[in-house]
Amino acid sequence: MDNLAKHLLQRLMRRIPASMLQSTLDKWGRLTAEKRKSLDFTQSKLTITQELVALCEESELTVKHITELEMIYVTENPNQGMWHTFQLLDPEDDAHSVELMQFKEQFKSHLSELKRNVSVKIKKHTDEAVWIRVAWGDGLSRPNHLKATYVVHYLQTPYVFVNALSSKNKPLLLQALTLSTKHQQIKAANLSGQKLTALRDLLMRQYQQVFPTKYPSPLPESDQSISKLRIEKVQAEASANRHRMAGETFGDGMLPALQSAFFQLETKFKDPTNEAMTQRDEPFICSVKFSSSNLLESLRHCASSGIASTPVTPLLSSIPLKGRNYFVITNNVPNA
Amino acid sequence: MEGSRERTPHSGGVKRRSKSQSYRRSIRTCFGVASGLSLTPALTARRMNICRKAPKSQNITEKVKPEHLALLVKTEWQLSYVTPLYQFRHTQLKTYARQLSAFIAAEKQQGLAVEVGGLQNTFKVSFSVLQGLAETNDDPETVLIQVVTGLGRGRFSSRFRLHFVILSLFLLKVQSKPMFARQEDPPKTVWSGWLSCINGNPEYLQSLPKDFTCLPLFCSKGAEGLSSLVKSWLQRTFDCCFGPLDINQTTLQWLAALWTNCHMETNIQKLKMIWTLPVVPPLQVTYTVDSDDALELWRSTRESSAEKSRGAEDEVCIDFSEVTRFMQGLMSHFYRHFRVDLSAGELNQVSSALGSAKLNGKIKISSSRYLISIFSLLTECALLKMPI
Repeated sequence: MDNLAKHLLQRLMRRIPASMLQSTLDKWGRLTAEKRKSLDFTQSKLTITQELVALCEESELTVKHITELEMIYVTENPNQGMWHTFQLLDPEDDAHSVELMQFKEQFKSHLSELKRNVSVKIKKHTDEAVWIRVAWGDGLSRPNHLKATYVVHYLQTPYVFVNALSSKNKPLLLQALTLSTKHQQIKAANLSGQKLTALRDLLMRQYQQVFPTKYPSPLPESDQSISKLRIEKVQAEASANRHRMAGETFGDGMLPALQSAFFQLETKFKDPTNEAMTQRDEPFICSVKFSSSNLLESLRHCASSGIASTPVTPLLSSIPLKGRNYFVITNNVPNA
Repeated sequence: MEGSRERTPHSGGVKRRSKSQSYRRSIRTCFGVASGLSLTPALTARRMNICRKAPKSQNITEKVKPEHLALLVKTEWQLSYVTPLYQFRHTQLKTYARQLSAFIAAEKQQGLAVEVGGLQNTFKVSFSVLQGLAETNDDPETVLIQVVTGLGRGRFSSRFRLHFVILSLFLLKVQSKPMFARQEDPPKTVWSGWLSCINGNPEYLQSLPKDFTCLPLFCSKGAEGLSSLVKSWLQRTFDCCFGPLDINQTTLQWLAALWTNCHMETNIQKLKMIWTLPVVPPLQVTYTVDSDDALELWRSTRESSAEKSRGAEDEVCIDFSEVTRFMQGLMSHFYRHFRVDLSAGELNQVSSALGSAKLNGKIKISSSRYLISIFSLLTECALLKMPI
């Protein structure tokens, strides 16, 4: 086992939390059951790492095998780092019939034409996602396995999620993706975040949608009771309306855990109480960032509690509707 | 350690009851002060200024040594207020340093948590004076003592006469030296704090009995364990009380407006405000405004204010109602886009290139030019928050 493989393994072991070590190694399957049993997982991580390195050396494992282990770990724990979303556009006629083997071959060949010395690994996950790991080298050096890019693509959908991609390699990767999926263009989809699962669920609408209905509740009976009850009824109605509209905008139940949304605002300042600013021609430049451990739930709660006026403004409803969390708003026109 | 916690209403000043005259009685009962107070005509009622002078860029490097300034700026300090110190002598700084070192060592031996740097370290305290941060010129009997710490040699200038100790500022530094360190290893500062009073209310300060030194603003940085040790030593030795100085909504709004005002002289780059909205899970809104646009908005709110004296630019006073209008302008622009009412939430933090201020009492000043103005504001907050 060469030094690079050792180093890679040690780095990887630092990343994997102790609780997940055993299951990840089991899934990896490169060590025989005996060898795995010989590892004592109650020891300190440092000790386990040393023993593991020794075992891997015995089994004569290489960098290739270690990268497999890394890929298993990342695939099982995708909510780390920063994922950026891209969208494929203008599919060719046969785009929908691209299947896995074809995609794999095409991607590998296109990418290696564009750049020499790249190491590509493609795997299909159980939930139909195609995971790609790319380690970049160039004409002069070997692929850098310490800073690999991960790509997740669901075939038959136009969405691609990318993690840890440098700006230097970006055009190459995007071109390879476009060609191998038989599309003409790819663009940034303005949706990024740490939690891949949240981004995916948001885009593919994997959460409970609420559809507007004309008659949300059974027709109420006419109630001729005292005025206090009527006040409560009006308040209850208003509250029910808010809840309904909040649900229609953002969804029901558990929502994808999107963590932030960013708006760059370059619109004119309009305030009837402030003549001077309203008459200005230049836009008022500011930016707003919303963050929360679950942004969509926070926004839904804002709407249902009245902190956000309902119906919810298109700026906020665009987040779930368009599956975006980065917006530039100009000239008084929302969603420019 | 809290007296009655006051929330300053947005509409302007808060009238405080004046302080009782017998301090010796009331210091120990700082918890139950509210009941013991009575209006004494001789003492002034102190209130939060609803009118402030616009902070001017001051080059204070002539008054204060640059190395002292460097210690204060670009660092985040945790604020507390402290009641007047009884029988604090600027002459005794060396003694105090020795006493505090001994105290910390003793507490450490008892096992109190002072985890900084492990058990091997010994702590050495130095008290020094940061001259020049005084503002009011009532009686410029500035302290002339210099306490030099380090390798045990202290110079001692014995000329002192104190009438008002409004004018001084003290720096406490706790340095940690590993037991087996080589001679050349420089001692590391593991904790620092300073007591100050900048532009303190002169009527209040003059009303204090002679033995009391008023340094109401306490800024600290470093391990929490050391902070509490230093505070408890100061409490025992000078019969004073400490309490957290939260920077309330009003003060944060003042800072937003004042910093924007400073953009006329110094580029503040951006005005950033962070709100939290009380939803589940809590929503944080970071609203960043381009500094030129913020300044224009600020100017427009000031022009519309009727009572403006156009002549004397130097003494131009900023009224809190202008600050409110400025904030309302910002919030209405926000509302126009998102239909979310920011006033339903709480302003947590205001920052600009000149510094940052947080609701939990943390302040950072990035430029020494506005140090005096900002700390005058904070001194005022500290004096207000003190229970006596």
